[in-house]
Amino acid sequence: MIKINHEKCVLCIGCASVCPFGAIELQGTRMKVNPEKCKNCGMCIRVCPADAISYAEEEKTKKEKAEAKE
Amino acid sequence: MKYDVIVIGAGPAGTTFARITAEKGMNVLVLDKRKELGEPVRCAEGLGRREVDIQGLILPKEVISTDIKGSRIVSPSGHELIWEDEEATGWVLERKMFDRWLAELAVEKGARIRTYTRVLDLIKENGKIKGVIASHQGEESYEIEADLVVSAEGMESIIARKAGFKTFSALSEVDTCYQYEMQPYNHRNLIELYLGNEIAKRGYVWVFPKGKNKANVGIGIGGHLTNAVKGGSLKGADPKILLDKFIKQSPELKDSSTLQDFGGVISVGAPIDEFVADNFMVIGTAARQVDPIHGGGIARSMEAARIAAGVAAEAKKKNDYSKKTLSEYEKIWRKGPGKILEKRLLFRKVLEKFSDADLDYIIKNITQEDLKDVMAGNFFRPVMKLLKGNPGLLKVLGALIS
Ligand SMILES: Cc1cc2nc3c(=O)[nH]c(=O)nc-3n(C[C@H](O)[C@H](O)[C@H](O)COP(=O)(O)OP(=O)(O)OC[C@H]3O[C@@H](n4cnc5c(N)ncnc54)[C@H](O)[C@@H]3O)c2cc1C
Ligand code: SF4
Ligand code: SF4
Repeated sequence: MIKINHEKCVLCIGCASVCPFGAIELQGTRMKVNPEKCKNCGMCIRVCPADAISYAEEEKTKKEKAEAKE
Repeated sequence: MKYDVIVIGAGPAGTTFARITAEKGMNVLVLDKRKELGEPVRCAEGLGRREVDIQGLILPKEVISTDIKGSRIVSPSGHELIWEDEEATGWVLERKMFDRWLAELAVEKGARIRTYTRVLDLIKENGKIKGVIASHQGEESYEIEADLVVSAEGMESIIARKAGFKTFSALSEVDTCYQYEMQPYNHRNLIELYLGNEIAKRGYVWVFPKGKNKANVGIGIGGHLTNAVKGGSLKGADPKILLDKFIKQSPELKDSSTLQDFGGVISVGAPIDEFVADNFMVIGTAARQVDPIHGGGIARSMEAARIAAGVAAEAKKKNDYSKKTLSEYEKIWRKGPGKILEKRLLFRKVLEKFSDADLDYIIKNITQEDLKDVMAGNFFRPVMKLLKGNPGLLKVLGALIS
């Protein structure tokens, strides 16, 4: 699964336009990812002009690493 | 209640389609998931006058930010080419107001619009499309029936996919964009484009004047060229980083303020393979009817909407919304605008192969008349002229005359 940083997201719908699986959609004022459809292909990450998307697992490892350091 | 037609999306394509079909007596409902039409803006807001004139529209003052007298193209080492004539005139819009205004015109002609209403899916009976399933404000969904459903969904175009259309773009066929609205910027009422492989890979930086002393300053680069590393952090070819660099090096902009940040992704590829199915049409940027050179899609969306609306009104008269009847829209489009966009796509593919030295040479050596020919798809004369002075360009320019 990918993770969207809503603080950074500028709602440009770029990710939704290139997702081959229709897994992202603008709903209200947020981009929503459908975990059942997302295949982790990374297209959305590459197109995002705001550097707002990352792999959720990486976020987790980053967090774990940070915690391990503490 | 059953409608003749339900339009998904109240952008320029959807509201233009609704205005014309309502005027021709169709019973039209437009649904848009946005709470407020036109918000958020993801656009540089430039519009040429041609399609506006064809549709007999007169823009009210409040939708215009600045009148445009022409364009200025700047090469990597600063040579400039200015195109200033009737054909190059237009406006930089207040896009939000423009979308609102087009919506109001449609309502005045009898169309009905519902905002904050997201289309979730299509109603299908034995494979036949009979309407849409929608939800207002994220609440419980309901069905609305119609003889014809039109996707004017823009880049996202998720419902068109559910109807079987391939409306997602490959990374290489989009430009990923970042833009600031900036002030002050003392402009000359010209749309400015800065080209160069260092400035913007497979794309350009644009400075579109706004108001008296503001501008939309943005960048678009090839979606496949962004340098994403695993985890999502972009380095090098991140559009925002390149744009910030451009601004820092610009004497006119480096000390200016930013009033707004925008992002966006726009198609610079070919239109989708098919535009119609039984009881279904795709129009505008949803169908990727966008200029592949500059990513302009407002006029092309309104143009496709105009053609499609004429065909839809005929379909109503015959009470026949079959693919065969609706495909008249596709035929007209492909013979007209489609031909021009095909040539522009060819040119875009050549443009992205130019080195900075090529760009410098070309911009220094071509005139307004040459540029006009190129934009009209008449490549032969300008290409021969360039080859005479610089035969080495044959490698890249050859594709335009073969
Ligand atoms: C950074 C950037 C700069 C640009 N600059 C220019 C420019 O200077 N000049 C120019 O001509 N073009 C420009 N464009 C392109 C232009 O903005 C689009 O081509 C144009 O808006 C297309 O119009 P449309 O009506 O087809 O789609 P849109 O204007 O995108 O409208 C689609 C509508 O459909 C709605 N919608 C989508 N899905 C659903 C759903 N499931 N249910 C309900 N509603 C839905 C959306 O909310 C939206 O309101 C730019 C694009 C970008 C990204
Ligand atoms: S990772 Fe791929 S499948 Fe998942 S949302 Fe992004 S583009 Fe879609
Ligand atoms: S591409 Fe990035 S900025 Fe654009 S909508 Fe998706 S997450 Fe937000």
